[in-house]
Amino acid sequence: MFRGIIDLKSVWLTAAIFIILLILPPILPRFYTYILALIFVTSLLAMSLNLVLGHGMLFQFHHGVFYGVGAYTAALMLTKTSLPEWIGFVAGPIMAAIVGLLIGWFCVRLTRLYFGMLQISLGSLIWAIVFRWYSFTGGDDGIHGIPMPSLLSSLNNVYYFILIVLVICLVVLYLILKSPFGSTLEAIRDNPQRCEAVGVNVRRHQLMAIVIATFFAGIAGVLFVVLEGSVFPDLLFWVLSLEVFIMCLLGGWFTFAGPVLGAAIMVGLRTFVGIFTEYWTLILGVILILLIFFLPEGVMGYFLEKFKPQVKEAAERGAN
Amino acid sequence: MELGQSINLASLGSQLLVGLSRAMILFIVCAGLSFVLGVLRVPNIAHGSLYMIGAFAAYSIFKLFGGSSTGFWLALILAPFVVAAVSLIAERALFCHLYQREHLMLLLFTFALMLIFGDLVKLTWGAKYYSVLPPSVLRGSISVFGSSLPRYNLFLLIIGPLVAIGLWLFTSKTKIGKISRAAAVDREMVGVIGINVSWVFAVAFVIGCYLAGLGGALVAPTVSISLGMDHDIIIEAFLIVTIGGLGNIWGALVGSLIFGLTHSFGVLLWPQFAIVFPYAAVVIVLLLCPRGLLKSVW
Amino acid sequence: MTKRIVTMRSLVLGVALFAILLILLPAQSKARPIKVGIIDCYSGPAAVFGKDALNGFKLALATINKKGVLGTKIEFTTRDTKFKVDIGLSMAKELIMRENVDILVGTISSGVALAVSDYVRREKVPFIVWISKSERITGEKGHRYVFSTGENTAMAGKAGGVALAKKPYVKYWIAGDDYSYGHDIANAAWRNLGKLKPGVKKIGESWWKVGEPDLIPYFTAIEGAKPDAVIFATGGRSMANVLKAAKTTGMAGKIPIWIHTATDHAVLKPLGPEAPEGVMGTMDYHFYYPDTPANKAFVKAFQDAYGEPPGFPAFHAYMTAHFIAKAFRKAGKVNKEKFIDALEGLKIDAPVGEVKMRACDHQAVLPMFLGVTKKVPQYDFVISTDIITLPGKDILPTCEEIKKAREK
Repeated sequence: MFRGIIDLKSVWLTAAIFIILLILPPILPRFYTYILALIFVTSLLAMSLNLVLGHGMLFQFHHGVFYGVGAYTAALMLTKTSLPEWIGFVAGPIMAAIVGLLIGWFCVRLTRLYFGMLQISLGSLIWAIVFRWYSFTGGDDGIHGIPMPSLLSSLNNVYYFILIVLVICLVVLYLILKSPFGSTLEAIRDNPQRCEAVGVNVRRHQLMAIVIATFFAGIAGVLFVVLEGSVFPDLLFWVLSLEVFIMCLLGGWFTFAGPVLGAAIMVGLRTFVGIFTEYWTLILGVILILLIFFLPEGVMGYFLEKFKPQVKEAAERGAN
Repeated sequence: MELGQSINLASLGSQLLVGLSRAMILFIVCAGLSFVLGVLRVPNIAHGSLYMIGAFAAYSIFKLFGGSSTGFWLALILAPFVVAAVSLIAERALFCHLYQREHLMLLLFTFALMLIFGDLVKLTWGAKYYSVLPPSVLRGSISVFGSSLPRYNLFLLIIGPLVAIGLWLFTSKTKIGKISRAAAVDREMVGVIGINVSWVFAVAFVIGCYLAGLGGALVAPTVSISLGMDHDIIIEAFLIVTIGGLGNIWGALVGSLIFGLTHSFGVLLWPQFAIVFPYAAVVIVLLLCPRGLLKSVW
Repeated sequence: MTKRIVTMRSLVLGVALFAILLILLPAQSKARPIKVGIIDCYSGPAAVFGKDALNGFKLALATINKKGVLGTKIEFTTRDTKFKVDIGLSMAKELIMRENVDILVGTISSGVALAVSDYVRREKVPFIVWISKSERITGEKGHRYVFSTGENTAMAGKAGGVALAKKPYVKYWIAGDDYSYGHDIANAAWRNLGKLKPGVKKIGESWWKVGEPDLIPYFTAIEGAKPDAVIFATGGRSMANVLKAAKTTGMAGKIPIWIHTATDHAVLKPLGPEAPEGVMGTMDYHFYYPDTPANKAFVKAFQDAYGEPPGFPAFHAYMTAHFIAKAFRKAGKVNKEKFIDALEGLKIDAPVGEVKMRACDHQAVLPMFLGVTKKVPQYDFVISTDIITLPGKDILPTCEEIKKAREK
């Protein structure tokens, strides 16, 4: 999609946004810094899902499990062991990727809806275990007051840390998608039979993509712990997975950065509409319906369509 | 404490009947979900919301007739039609325009419906707990195998097979039923021979939602009717439909039986971990038969 | 001509300048209101409790604001947590960082309460929990900035233990909702019962998922085990299901049952005359007991305002509002640290009598009412009868126990 569309304009735009985000914390009230940091974390989660969803057309219905596993791993290592914090931070995504490998190995044997349903079952089993194992995970009380290194004790420092990690991850994801691996993944999405015929091991390729995606979801989980200092079983619940799924569709799942926009919209709506009414789910539902009818390629897709006709063709091809 | 200390033929027998009666409600709800899944090829995330609306509507009708026994029977008959009407409106106004679109968009639409219905129920009925009482003839319990089985559960054991027979007659004997089955397998062909596929979808969707409403009305006397019922049932329904075979109504029956029986026997054998049982059962079935136990419709 | 334009322009400029000065000038005599942020669950099955609490709070404020507090009024704003911890935490942060509330109150979910409690400790904003019953809130995870005006599982467990120790039952079965509240109640009740009556035996446990609609298999299994009595550890959500199942299977008449909050009106009212009789329950509030003038006045005012009698959330929230007002008046200024100092040890007149906010753990010392469900002619629902009052000081954990728990 974005292949060959990298032009100077996009680079300047991205750099400008990055610079603006860097200088915001000192001038923004604390709450908006917090919300932006939360959007960053959620964006990373949505982007990790879209690697396999938009670019691989895998029905990853329970991506939240890997997010939760990453978060809980970091939380448990930081509260139950006296190992240095960075080990906990690194253990999170590794554990998430291991779980991703295990679950993915079973799921790639199936396609489309079956893939998604099996993942929901396996993921729900993990949720039930985390929820029930009160003595280890704190059950539905969760784990709170997770100690952070002193460098990450102020909100501004946390903001910068999350932003830098997000940017690094986005660059890596972009490179992965532009690499032969990424092209093959998209080829598999568009026509799996032809890829098999040409000798591509479709299942192994998809499994690799899942492992990468769950690794990044684990990173997002660790960032969540850094930001909030708490973990709880809701992170592994199917409702959150569904919401992340919606973010990708909302933002534009055939674009690169669509999920970021989707995450920003969902978090923003939830926070700011929630200030005025308790019926913000109703409003979210109505907005979703409007988007389905009038912006089927997602918000980002709509904008790109206006400015980049090639993307529109590709999106249409994928939509059929 | 000992595992399964009170297992004997009597307790197994009563758990069997109890598990079967629960499976009947699950079957009615999941048959609707499976039917819609088969014909429209979309898992209706809002199915739980319609189940919840069925329960609330049953309460309102029950209350309208003074909370009497006739009120209950009327609620049982009318509430599913209320749900069917709601679903017909949603379908004709919005859903039918999306049939050409990518499947995930339809999924997204049903998710939006779930959000909207959830808040609409809160707006209409408020946040309180409501209760429906079974008619006097179905209250209390009878002694079976040495323990007490509620009469209402016996009633469910009769209703369940009746609904199953009704569905079988519908899909194999009536014209609409046969067309629906055909559309599930090959919708292009159905369109080619001149049948309006959009109307077939509408019928299938409304019938599926009718069944959800019926399930909600049937479950109403046994639970406290409250917000959040939609979330509770939908994950179970999805899992059952998956292990039964996507789109296969009889698969929904098999799945419901597995779910209901593993639950009731699990409660007897290992009551401390009952929360894990359904998921474990589903995982085992899916690992052995990834596409579900019965053949999927597509 | 030009002269008139110049005059017009200067006039407009002058008015604009004046308006800007007016807006920028600090408001003089009118002090800024005291802001209370309420985070609670207004969606899903817990919403009935959240709304009840909000009504109790509003009722109290109606009277308090007539007199005013420190020359100003108490205002509040609500946020819906939807029973999700991440949303609850986000809302709490929004209330503190954006709305700049002076006090945070609320919530029914223990997960939210504990997460927010940890957050307010860092932000140094007082947080008063009014429905969530986790004993950890003022127990092992308690600290200077968190208070509770509701009863907790330690208190309820002790009340249950005291109640059951008087009975001749030996073989017990424990069943309940499989989440921390259920386990906490069960553990607290069993611990206390074991201390008071060492001969009791637990012959089995059953745990179901929260909100489980199909409890019949559990009941038939429990009946098969033939215990002397059953302790049900269930939250508000499954309570009606448990009571219905107890009535339908006939267990309520055959086997003695104790449940904390079994006599909660929000649950008994919809069940009507079909609710089971003979079930032992503990509650820290009934609108019909104690039959004192203070309670009667509270109930009448609530009934006039909202069309139904208050439940225990309304009672807790009503107390919270009065605690807040009195503490600020005692502190003398809208200062969070002085507020906390004033609140410690403070006593107010509540519908159940005088209630003190204990200084060592910030827990309101509430009495517990133990009764048995029974149909009575004057209501079309079942109420708690033969009520025994257990005074708060007998059922709270001691200050030494709290201190030890927090040091761990």
